[in-house]
Amino acid sequence: MRTVLCYGDSNTHGQIPGGTPLDRFGLDTRWPGVLQRELGDGWHVIEEGLSGRTTVHDDPIEGAIKNGRTYLRPCMMSHAPLDVVVVMLGTNDLKARFGQPPSEVAMGMGCLIHDIKELAPGPGGNVPEIMIVAPPPMQDDIKEWSSIFAGAQEKSHRLALEFEIMADSLEVHYFDAGSIIECDPEDGFHLSGNAHKALGVSMAQEIVAIGWVDNG
Amino acid sequence: MRFAPPNPLRIADRSSGLNSISVRSYNERLVLSLLLQNDGISRMEIGQRTGLSAQTVSVIVRSLEQEGLVKKGKAQKGRVGPPAIPLSLNAKGAYSVGISLGHRQTDVVLIDFVGAVKFHTTIPNSSRTEGSNHTQFLETVRAAIQALPSNRERIAGVGLAIPEDRYELNLAPYGAAERYETLGSEIEADLGVEVYVQNDISAAAGGESLFGAAKPLTDYLFCYLGARLHNRLVLNHQIFNSNAIQSHDVGLLYLQKRLEENGLDTSALWERGALWPDFGTVEADWFDTCVSQLEQSMTALSQFVPVTTIVLSSYAPKDICEKISKRLEDRMDGIRAIAGSLEVSPKAIGAASLPFSSKFMVE
Repeated sequence: MRTVLCYGDSNTHGQIPGGTPLDRFGLDTRWPGVLQRELGDGWHVIEEGLSGRTTVHDDPIEGAIKNGRTYLRPCMMSHAPLDVVVVMLGTNDLKARFGQPPSEVAMGMGCLIHDIKELAPGPGGNVPEIMIVAPPPMQDDIKEWSSIFAGAQEKSHRLALEFEIMADSLEVHYFDAGSIIECDPEDGFHLSGNAHKALGVSMAQEIVAIGWVDNG
Repeated sequence: MRFAPPNPLRIADRSSGLNSISVRSYNERLVLSLLLQNDGISRMEIGQRTGLSAQTVSVIVRSLEQEGLVKKGKAQKGRVGPPAIPLSLNAKGAYSVGISLGHRQTDVVLIDFVGAVKFHTTIPNSSRTEGSNHTQFLETVRAAIQALPSNRERIAGVGLAIPEDRYELNLAPYGAAERYETLGSEIEADLGVEVYVQNDISAAAGGESLFGAAKPLTDYLFCYLGARLHNRLVLNHQIFNSNAIQSHDVGLLYLQKRLEENGLDTSALWERGALWPDFGTVEADWFDTCVSQLEQSMTALSQFVPVTTIVLSSYAPKDICEKISKRLEDRMDGIRAIAGSLEVSPKAIGAASLPFSSKFMVE
């Protein structure tokens, strides 16, 4: 049995576009559920999505619990051994309150990669396969969220390249979700059910492409 | 380290083209070498055969895909588990020009990344009286590059195959050797494309090894049937080159002499891709002479290295090489003789493979 940890924000949690964190797609609709179905019986997919999660920031308004860095370590230890850690974060770092350029968000992502490598929660205490996923760019119209995310739309288009440079530099797997899906126009930065499905299917392909030697 | 900015070297530039070509890392070369030798292998196989980690392979393959050098194939359903995605070189990812300077004429080819000939022409050598025809050389090379549908930055370089065999040089126009020496730098200056120079027989051996009949072979005697018969020993894919290697007068020049003695027309001999007429007993006698020489070489070689395969390459029609190979096999027990599969001009195709091996492969 191989284990995949999907570590993300509201788009891993499965928040319905235009809804609140309590409005959530069903287990089978959310991309980790789709991933589980695609990968099949030999795999265990763990869903760890929190609405509002950042890469490395304590959120002054929503609270320190939104810091992706502090929760990642206990989270990985809870679920170890892990064969693959997929991290899809970054959108919340673009909130106006953090004032971060895309390159800094990528630095935050790099920090998480270092933490994963340092903890080495893979089988036998090895470094697991790490996959960085760049979230799809936000739509221009993000409704009532436009002041919270002031200036974020433009930055969100530059996240993918910054993430890829970081992934290459630290030699980890990378996937640009924006290459296959878009954010739902309902609120401009969450994913529709169809987008979850497409993302889950693509992630399964990416994870399989890593190549796994069957050691029983 | 940890809080330093990321190293943007690999992904440096997103524009298409082969601009970062000069800084190809050893690991990238390792992956490209594997792909040049094996079509359609998965990332897992690349990892297993190179010893690189899955994440390193992932990064390298992605950057090669972005550069257009590598492309994904259709997912293959394995016996167990989810489908694997095979990777191959993108034929349109890189092109190369090959020039072979013969004693009678010059061949110019343009090949794609998987060795398919996209352009071929034969131009005459300049004669003693005409002086230099460098202008025509350069124009032909330019025409080869212009035969490409689009971007010229996809040209990996120009390979130049130069004869060094003193008998063949004596046949070439006066001062040919001196002109050959400067030709490389002239092409480089004129076109701004890197030029790689190699001995013509070694180039042909390299071509058969990379794109031809010798692809799956590691150890063999490579023979080139041109004006004369030439040998190169290939051990563990390495071609041994030396000016001291002897050539034998049992090649097409010899055949030409015999045919002329018998009053037969010899014009087909030097044409590229031409079918030969039936030369009757002259041809049969020549086969015997040729096979005897090959047998002698193989016998001599077998005293030193256990090589049992011979590859016979030529621009002559393939069935000629096949007939000679067949006869050699009949005569020698335990010897496998294979006709080369690069037709038209193995030397020029081999020359064109030089920029690929220099830029993309590990030694």
